[in-house]
Amino acid sequence: MHLLAFLLLVASLLFAIGFGAAAALQIWQGRSTLLHWIEKSQMMITTLITVSSFILLWALVNFDFSNYYVASYTSLDLPLFYRVTAFWAGQAGSLLFWAWSVALCGIIFLYTNAYQALSDGTKMWFWMLFLTFIGFFLFLLTTWSNPFLLISPVPADGNGLNPLLQNPGMIFPPPLLFLGYGGFTIPSCLALAQALNRKQPNEGSWTDASRNMILFAWLNLTAGIILGCWWSYMELGWGGYWAWDPVENASLIPWLVGSAFLHTSVIESRRGKLHRTNTFLVALTTISAVFATYLVRSGVVESLHAFGDGGVGTPLLIFVLFFTALSLFASITSKNPNARPMAELFSREGLLLVAAWFLIALGVIILIATMWPVFSKFFTENPQGLDQQFYNKVCMPLAAIISVLLMICPWMKWKGGVKSGIMLGVVTAVFIATGAAMYFAGYQIPVSILAVGSAAGCIAGIVLLFATDPAARNNRAIGAYGVHLGVALIVIGIAFSGPYKKEIQTQISRGETATLEEYTFKYKQLYEGEAREYIFLQAEIDVYEDGKLLGTLEPQRRLYHKFGKNRSFAEVSLIPSLGEEIYSSLLGADANGNITVTLSIEPMVNWFWIGGTLMCLFPFIGFTRFRKSEKVTDAA
Amino acid sequence: MAKKNGKSVYIAALLLFLGGLGYLLFTGFSQNSVYFLEVSEALAMTPDQLGSARLFGTVKADNIKRHEEGLGVNFILEDANDKSLVLPVVFKGAVPDTFKAGAEVIVEGNIDDATKAFQARTLMTKCPSKYEKKNRE
Repeated sequence: MHLLAFLLLVASLLFAIGFGAAAALQIWQGRSTLLHWIEKSQMMITTLITVSSFILLWALVNFDFSNYYVASYTSLDLPLFYRVTAFWAGQAGSLLFWAWSVALCGIIFLYTNAYQALSDGTKMWFWMLFLTFIGFFLFLLTTWSNPFLLISPVPADGNGLNPLLQNPGMIFPPPLLFLGYGGFTIPSCLALAQALNRKQPNEGSWTDASRNMILFAWLNLTAGIILGCWWSYMELGWGGYWAWDPVENASLIPWLVGSAFLHTSVIESRRGKLHRTNTFLVALTTISAVFATYLVRSGVVESLHAFGDGGVGTPLLIFVLFFTALSLFASITSKNPNARPMAELFSREGLLLVAAWFLIALGVIILIATMWPVFSKFFTENPQGLDQQFYNKVCMPLAAIISVLLMICPWMKWKGGVKSGIMLGVVTAVFIATGAAMYFAGYQIPVSILAVGSAAGCIAGIVLLFATDPAARNNRAIGAYGVHLGVALIVIGIAFSGPYKKEIQTQISRGETATLEEYTFKYKQLYEGEAREYIFLQAEIDVYEDGKLLGTLEPQRRLYHKFGKNRSFAEVSLIPSLGEEIYSSLLGADANGNITVTLSIEPMVNWFWIGGTLMCLFPFIGFTRFRKSEKVTDAA
Repeated sequence: MAKKNGKSVYIAALLLFLGGLGYLLFTGFSQNSVYFLEVSEALAMTPDQLGSARLFGTVKADNIKRHEEGLGVNFILEDANDKSLVLPVVFKGAVPDTFKAGAEVIVEGNIDDATKAFQARTLMTKCPSKYEKKNRE
């Protein structure tokens, strides 16, 4: 069974190599007679990968511990839901999932009208690149990272899934990120294909042809990151959602590059400019995704939760270098004959480009900082790294400036000048009033004031725009501005919950109280309980605000049967609020019933989750049907 | 003519942007760098060089003492490759769930001149299940 699955992967690798080479040959000969067969091969590859994936799933669901991967990540007492999700709990499984995502996105794209409208030459280049890409993953899956290794003798029970991963918040980020990476593969390959094929005058731009795929991919990346934050906040029990850990940074870098690309691509699809920049940026998005995987998998940077080096590090790095060189070559040599120069800096075009600079700068800074232990070896004997303050100090001001651009940009004209002086005035007034209000309320950190003020201005602007301008009420605009509304709320959430969080760790005896700011925490009792896979200790803590009962916290400490008596896990308890959320995590209890807890006040943290949700929902409104007429207008 | 002016404005803005960025990075790098070291490397340095460091190692099986008063733990950090190289660590604060003998941990702090022990401000353990090595034991 597992041998069959492995052989299916080998077969799909051979298909990818064979038809990738066929595409290359046809390009060389200037023909496209085999195009139909190459498209068929993509369907074949997808089918084979899908069958292998289902075999792995079947083994996971049915406790087939003869498979090394299944034995490593599941156990007899693991519920069905988590047995399915163990698919991407380890390296080999996640690579398979990634390959599967790429293959499925390829199939979806194959059946779009946008694909049909492409010229044969572009299609051929596209398949050559795409099959090379997927072939590379299949190569890893059949060599260093094989999910179908057998284990002998067959163990009676598996190792079990880490309890930290047994939470809905940790179940979805990895597959969402992989779907996002998979989705971005399509526009990347298509952009390079069109560049290498030289732009056909009657062919629509790839930015339109793959627009929905780009939105889909970006949406998945965003959702993956936001859910990852939520997992960190709810499950790790340390009271935060972002720690600038290398793995978190690795997921953020492709998102930042992809977001920068979204902004420059608007300039191309609306104004027909920045053709080469876009080609390179979209390719860079995929490259950074592969590089992020390299960072996480190769053990190059020590991290809290990186996989060990499974040998895939070096091939991933070689692939990244190769793909980067190809993308640079393709974008530099391609020239759009219709390209026009950029409008002045203080135009919507100009500011969109500046916003993209900032997003890329953030990505580059985070990349350099994450890799600093590696780079610093060139000039010091012992490697140096950077702490969290570095990231906060450098990244937060840049993010705040992006927020300011977000506030101004909708009120600029494409070609330059201000669209509506009155509106821009109103928005600026909101900005100043909010900043002043914050200052006098005691929130006096300059970057926070700048961020919150501009975010408030941005929200006011979006409301004004839709109230006054009927032309803005189309799906594309609603999608885009809705996402930006989410961004503004996230900015507000971070600007408060980051610097203004209050936290104590303390020991409390039964019946005693602890205080934090205006809140009093009264520890009432401690009791034990039992669930299917774990036993738990639960503390009951009443929270009073200025003497008035606000609610009861019930943080738990869980002992999973599978993971022994010495390792317990926290289950946090909250009193949710749109203002100050009360957060508690039970760290331990002694024989006398004294408990140790982390208690914290997290101001405005829920706006982060609300904003994040909006960012994931509004792109759905932005999906558009590809019309052939777009192709005509483009050529005209 | 107008076209040329437009381009120079962009270049000026880009230079300004890169300058600001460079300044931010420079101050960040000079103020927030910490050494990332294995135990063996840390032992090779003098305490005054270790003003701020992040150490990687494993928790030695014996001599783990939880503090009786308040939160914290004293333990011995072993070099991941050479078990004979050890450094005592004192950590005050909440001990993570996954801390145990043999766990791979990361501590941040500095060497205390008086006691020669590493005073850790933070103590982190590696995320266990996703770490492949762990499962190959």
